[in-house]
Amino acid sequence: MIRKNLSLPDLAATICDACKRNGIDVVLSGGACVSIYTENKYESFDLDFVLLSHVRRKMIRPVLEALGFHEDGRHFRHPDTPYIVEFLSPPLSVSGEPVREIHKIHRGKMILRLLSPTDCVKDRLAAFYHWNDRPSLDQALMVCKDIPVDLREVRRWSMSEGMKDKFELFKEALSGSGSR
Amino acid sequence: MLEPLFESESKEKALLYVYTHGESYPREIAKSLGLHVNTVQYQLLKLEGGGVLYSKLKGRIRLFGFNPRYAFKKELSALLAKALTFVPEEELNLLYRPRMRPRRTGKPLS
Repeated sequence: MIRKNLSLPDLAATICDACKRNGIDVVLSGGACVSIYTENKYESFDLDFVLLSHVRRKMIRPVLEALGFHEDGRHFRHPDTPYIVEFLSPPLSVSGEPVREIHKIHRGKMILRLLSPTDCVKDRLAAFYHWNDRPSLDQALMVCKDIPVDLREVRRWSMSEGMKDKFELFKEALSGSGSR
Repeated sequence: MLEPLFESESKEKALLYVYTHGESYPREIAKSLGLHVNTVQYQLLKLEGGGVLYSKLKGRIRLFGFNPRYAFKKELSALLAKALTFVPEEELNLLYRPRMRPRRTGKPLS
């Protein structure tokens, strides 16, 4: 059950596992993945789960309510945790490309499915590329610093997004940040 | 035109409006298209929920625009661009060809 001080990976795994047991496949994306990969150096309180197939809201609601969450508009909140849970429509993608490989983290008997470190970096860079969001660039750099990332793949994807110049900015910032 | 796909004329029109204007807000769209603001708001929120549009607050106005991170943005843009070629010229000029260049304060509209 959800209790106070439950860590982000444990909470996310609990939700992911409950959904899976009810036939709902979800993958954690967004800032929460950055938090997990940087061990909370960047702190996100948004748990954004992408649905892998279309699921009606009325199917999701009882799963979350059984965990003690209540619906608040588009989100779900829990009295014992500051995290806000949201379910995003499929497809699971980073901009124009589908996500093919889903990363798994085992938490006890539960499995958390989330974006891989490489897709997490692409996801953050997408916000920097398309919205000029500097904090997202910083988050991408933080992940690269803390965990191995396939930079050749990030480069290939950046080119397909037509973002050569901004990828160079990212690479320049990365070479100054001492990535792994 | 795309109503069989979108299942709603107001959704199609609102999408075309946002596509051609870059960003807009429900009241402006509703006024331009002669639709009820609640209808437009409902469609925009649904499209935002599906990841097609983004929204952001500017002052007290919530602006909606095409989400550049939407997986099918390129393909949807192509579809809407094609749909626009079927819009009668008069309607196109009136609704979907906005003046984008700035106009100095106080200069009368010609």
